[in-house]
Amino acid sequence: MSTAKKQEFVTIIKRIMRKISDDVIKQNQMPILDLPKIGYDNTVWSDEKRMLTTGDKKIEVSPDSVKKIPTFAQYLVMANAVKKLLDEDMESTIRGMYYATLSNVGDGKNRQKFWTGQEDSDNAIKAVELLTGIPREEFSVTSKPKGMISGPIKLRVGGDIIDCNLGSRATSQLIPTNMGDVQIDDVKADFVMVVEKDTVLNNIRKSGFIQKYNAILLTGSGEPDRATRMMVKILNEQWKKPVVVFADADPWGLGIALRYKIGSESLSYDSERLVTPNAQVLGMMFSDIYQYNIPEVARLTASDEDINRANDMKKKPWMQNKQWQKELNLFLNKKEKCELDAFFKHGFKYLSETYLPQKLRMVGLI
Amino acid sequence: MPNKSASTVLDPAEEKVKVEVEELKRDISQSTTKLEKYKIIYNKKAESEFFVDNSALAGFTGERILYMAIRELIENSLDSCESFSILPSIKISLKIFDQSNDLWMLTCEDNGTGINSDKLPIAVCSFLTSAKYMEKQQRGLFGVGLKMVAAFSTKDTDFPIKVWNKSIDEQDEYYFELRTDIGTNKPIVLSKKLLLKQHSRIQDTSGFRIEVILRAKLVPITKNKIYEYVSETSIVNPYSSITFETDDGIFQFNRRTSIMPNPAQEILPHPSDMDLKTLKKAISKFQTQKMSLPKILSSSFQKLSYEKAKDIVTNTGLSLKTPTGDFSEHDLIKIVNICKKTKFQNPNTDHLSPIGREVLTIGMMSEYTIVSNKGNDITGVTATATAEKPVLHDTDLNPQGTDDTVTASTFESAQNEKPTPTPFKNNLSKSNFSVKVLKPVLTTYTSRTCVINNRPTVVETGLAYGGDIPSFKLYRFANKIPLLYDEGSDVAREVISEVEINKMGITKKQAKEQFSVNKESKKDRVIEVLPLHIFFHICSTKIPYKTAGKESIASEGELKYYMKSCLSELYRKLSTQIRKELKLKEAENKIRLYKHYLPFIVDSINESLGSKNSKLNESFSRLIENHLSKKPQIDVGDASSADSTLPVQASHKMDLADIDLEPDIQDTKDTTDTKDTDIQDTKDTRGTKETKETKETNDTRQTQKTKDTKVAAFSKPNLNKLERKKKDNKKVDLSLSGKLSKVDPTRNVTKNKKPKNANKKLIIKEKDITNKKNKSPTVKTSVNRTKMNKSFNKPQNQSKTKEVQSTIDSYSKRVNKGKKK
Repeated sequence: MSTAKKQEFVTIIKRIMRKISDDVIKQNQMPILDLPKIGYDNTVWSDEKRMLTTGDKKIEVSPDSVKKIPTFAQYLVMANAVKKLLDEDMESTIRGMYYATLSNVGDGKNRQKFWTGQEDSDNAIKAVELLTGIPREEFSVTSKPKGMISGPIKLRVGGDIIDCNLGSRATSQLIPTNMGDVQIDDVKADFVMVVEKDTVLNNIRKSGFIQKYNAILLTGSGEPDRATRMMVKILNEQWKKPVVVFADADPWGLGIALRYKIGSESLSYDSERLVTPNAQVLGMMFSDIYQYNIPEVARLTASDEDINRANDMKKKPWMQNKQWQKELNLFLNKKEKCELDAFFKHGFKYLSETYLPQKLRMVGLI
Repeated sequence: MPNKSASTVLDPAEEKVKVEVEELKRDISQSTTKLEKYKIIYNKKAESEFFVDNSALAGFTGERILYMAIRELIENSLDSCESFSILPSIKISLKIFDQSNDLWMLTCEDNGTGINSDKLPIAVCSFLTSAKYMEKQQRGLFGVGLKMVAAFSTKDTDFPIKVWNKSIDEQDEYYFELRTDIGTNKPIVLSKKLLLKQHSRIQDTSGFRIEVILRAKLVPITKNKIYEYVSETSIVNPYSSITFETDDGIFQFNRRTSIMPNPAQEILPHPSDMDLKTLKKAISKFQTQKMSLPKILSSSFQKLSYEKAKDIVTNTGLSLKTPTGDFSEHDLIKIVNICKKTKFQNPNTDHLSPIGREVLTIGMMSEYTIVSNKGNDITGVTATATAEKPVLHDTDLNPQGTDDTVTASTFESAQNEKPTPTPFKNNLSKSNFSVKVLKPVLTTYTSRTCVINNRPTVVETGLAYGGDIPSFKLYRFANKIPLLYDEGSDVAREVISEVEINKMGITKKQAKEQFSVNKESKKDRVIEVLPLHIFFHICSTKIPYKTAGKESIASEGELKYYMKSCLSELYRKLSTQIRKELKLKEAENKIRLYKHYLPFIVDSINESLGSKNSKLNESFSRLIENHLSKKPQIDVGDASSADSTLPVQASHKMDLADIDLEPDIQDTKDTTDTKDTDIQDTKDTRGTKETKETKETNDTRQTQKTKDTKVAAFSKPNLNKLERKKKDNKKVDLSLSGKLSKVDPTRNVTKNKKPKNANKKLIIKEKDITNKKNKSPTVKTSVNRTKMNKSFNKPQNQSKTKEVQSTIDSYSKRVNKGKKK
C-alpha cells in the first residue's frame, strides 16, 4: 500500500476522533456516529442495478444511553486499532483484530468481556468501514483466503506474479484477500466458470477442462469471501469475460450462486464492488436431477429449512423469472435436492465431460 | 387305753394340724416379707409437683426458663387486654438481681383486666386453674404458664412473688406476696394488702403487675431469643405498646395503630367434633332442667337445629320419650356415630381472632427489631438516631391516605400517650443493642380460611419486601404467638421451599445474580438471597403442633396446601415490584459498567490523535453523567405518584430503570420511534381498562374465594373483612394502573413514517444522482470529507442517505482505480 494512501486513511480516522473530541470538549454535546443500517430489514433490491443495495435506514451510535456506550466504545477501539495497524504497516485478519482488541471490562463483581465474541469485533470492523468509507482490505484487515482460482490468468501482487495457468493440472491458487493490491494480467480465457465447492473444482481441473475449453475456474469454497466475489466482478466487467455459476441443486447452493449474481444482505453496502449482475447461474437446476437421471440414492430429502428457504426465495423480486419459478416449484413439489458431486455416480468424468459441456453449449459459450 | 390310743390316734392329727398351722404361719410371714419387698405405693401427685417435675412439658427447660417466663407473662398480659378490647400497654423488665447466684428479677406490668382479688392467689399459683378453658382462640389455654413461673420462683428462691392487682370488677388495688405450695398445688398467701391511693402502683383503671425472682443462666442464644420474641410480638401486635427494660437498656416498641383485631368469641362445639365426653358433658349441664335430648343437642352444639337433632336421635332408633338421664353410654355412642357421618355446615370462625390485613400490614410496615451493634461504633449520636426513629416513623407511616383516618388519629394519641423516648439516649449509648425500625418498600397480605382437624383454621400470610429489610427471614406465629425454635421442622419451611420463586416473575438465576450479596454465598434456597420477610400466622383452637414444646407446626391435613396457595399469591403480588427492582439492579450494574467503558473511548481518541488531552476524560464523563441523570427525571414524578401505595424508598434510583428502556441500538431510529408509540398507546389504554376490569372482577373473585374457603362468610366479622379486602384490592389496582400508564414523554415523537415502497423508489433515485456524481473521479475524496464533516451534525434526514450511498460508490471507484493501475 502506498504511504500516501495510508496517510489518507489515518487522516480520516483522526478526523473522526477529532470530531468526537471537539463535540465533547468544545461543544459540550453528545457525539454521534451515523451509520447506515446493515441487515435483512434494510436491504433493498434495485431493479436498475440488478443487485441488493442498502436501504435508507440509519443507526446513530452515541454514548447517550447505557446500552449504546459499549457499542460506541467498541467502534472507537476498533478504529484506533485500525489506525495502529496502518501506522505499523502491518496486515491482520479479522480474527487478528479481535485478538488485538480483546479485553475485560468492569471490576470484580460486574465483569464482562469487551467483545462477547468475534462477531462483535467483526461488526465493529464493518462499522469502521462504513464510518471511514474505506473497505477493510484497503486498511489491511483481511480474512482467511478461501477463494481458489485456476486457469489462464496472472495475478500481480506487489512485485510477485502468481501464474494460475498451471500446466500440471495439479493445483489451484488461492485468491489473495487484499484485492486492492492485486493487479490482474494476461486473462487469456474465453469465460469464467464459478463452482460452489473446491472438491468439484479439483475434479473439473483434473479432467483438463481448463485446457480443453480455455476457461478460468473459480470457487469460493462455499460462501464466497469478498476477494472471490470481487475477482469475479473484475473478470466480468473489466475483462469482459462471461461468467457462469454452478452450485448444488438445493436452496442453500442456489443462495451461494446468487451471492455472485445479486449480492448479500450482510454486505449490501458493498454490492457495487462485489456483485456481478451479468453472471449466469446455469446449474445445477432442480430439473437436472431428473433430466440427468441422478439415481435416487444420490438424491437427498429436503429439510424443513430448505422448504422455507425455497418458499422465501420464490417471493423475491429477483426470482420472478419464469424459469426460476418453475425450478422452485419443482423443488417444492418433489422435495428433493442434490449435490454436484452426485454426478460422480455416473462416473468421475461425467461432470466435466458431459454435464458441464452440455450446459455451456446451451448458452453458447462453447 | 382308749385315751392313750385316742391320744395316739389324735396325736398325729393334732400334730398334722400343728404342722399345717406352722406352715401357714411360715407362709404368711414369708408372704408378708414378699409384700414388703414388692410393695407398690400408689400416691396422688399434686398437679404442681407434676408440672415442676416435668417442666419440659411446658417448655421450661434449662436455658429456656427466662425465655418461657417472659413469654408466658407477655402472653397473659396480651390475652387479658384483648379479651376486653383494651389497647395493651405492657412494661416488662428483666434485670440481674444477684449476679453471684444467677438470680434475675422479672417484672411484667399491664393494663389488662386484672384478676379478682379473691381468685388471684389461685390464678397465680394453682396449676390447671384458668379462666380460658373455652372454645376460643387465646394465647394461653392450659392454666400452666404463670403457675410455672411462680413454682420456679418458689422452688429456686426464698423470695415471695409480688403482685399488684387492680381487677376490672373491683375498685381497689391489692398487693400480694405469694408462694406456691408445690406439694399441694395451693397458693400460700404471705400477705395481702389493700393499697391506698398514694401507694398505688397501677395507674390505669385496671391492671396487673407481677414481680418474680428466678434462678437461671442467661446464655447469649436465649437472650437473643428473648429479644427476638419481644420484637416479633410487637410486629403482630402493633396496637400494643411494649416497654422492655433490660440491662442492655430500655427498648420501646411503640403503638402504631389503635385498630385491634376483633376479640375472639366463645362458641359451642361443632357436632362433627362430638365425642362421648362432650356429649355427656352437654347432657349433665342440662340435667336439672327437664329437656329432651334433641333440645339439649341443639343448644349445646353449633350448626345443629332442633329439627336436625331430632332426625339424628330418631335415626339412632332411640326413643324420644326416654328421660335424657336414662340413656346409657351404649345409646349415646350411637348419636356420636351418626353425627360423625352427617354433613353439617362448616364451623363458625367467631372464636378465632386473626390479626387481619390492616393490623398485620401496619406491623410489617414498621418492624421493630432489637439489633445488636456488633461493632463498637455505637455512640450517643447513633443512639439518639435510633431512639428518635420511632417517633419520626409514626408520622410518616402509611402515607396512602385512603382509609387511614383511624390510624392517623392513633398516631397522635400514641404520641400523646407516650413521651418521646429521649431517656434512652443514656441507656443505649452504653449498650450494644438498639431498637431499629425496618420499613419495607412493599407489603402484601393474604389469608385463607380452612378446616384442619375439624377446627376452622385461619391461615394469614404477609410479605414485606425491600427497603430497610436486609435479608431473608421467616416469621412464624400461632395464635399471635411468635414461634422461634425448631424452624427447620416447621411446615412453613416446607412451604417456602416448595413454592417456586418464578411465581415472582423472576428466575432463580436472576435472583442469585442480582440479589446475592456475595456471589460465593452457598445458600441452597434461592429465596433466601432476597430481602424478604415472610410471615405465617395460623390461628385455630387446635393448632397442629409437632411437639409438646409448641414451637413448630406439623403439616396436618390441607394446611400445607392452603399455606402454599397463600404464599404463591403473595409472590405473584410481589412480582411487579421485584421485577422493577431487578431492572433497577441490572441498570445499576450497567451504569457501573459503563464507567469502565469510558477509558476505552477516551484512550482510543487520545491514542489516535496522538495527544493527551486530560480534559477529554473529565468532560466526557461529565457529559454522559449529566445526560443520563437529566433525561429520565421526567419519569420520577410520575413514578412516585403512581406508587403511592408504596413508600417510595428509592425515587432517586428510578432514573436507572428508564435507562434500561432505551431503544435497542440494533433498531434504526424510525422503527423504534414508531414501535414505541405503538406500545405507548396500548399501554395507556390497557392501564385504564385494567383498573376497571380488575375492580369488577375483584368482587366476583372475592365471592369465589369465600366459597372456596369452605367456611360460609355470613358472620359479621367476616363481612367486615370482605369490605376491607375490597378496599385493599382497589389500592393495588390504582398503583398498577399508574405504573402501566407511566411512559416516557420524550419518546413520544414520531418521524419518518414513510411507507416502505416510497422508500424503495427514493433510494433508486438517489443512487442515480450519486452515480452521476461519481462519474467524475476527482469527487472521490471530497465526497468522503464532506461525509465526515456532515455525519456528525445530527439534524439531517434525507441527505444522509445520499452521503452514505456516495461513500459506498466511492469504494468501488477506488477499487476500479486500483485495478486499472
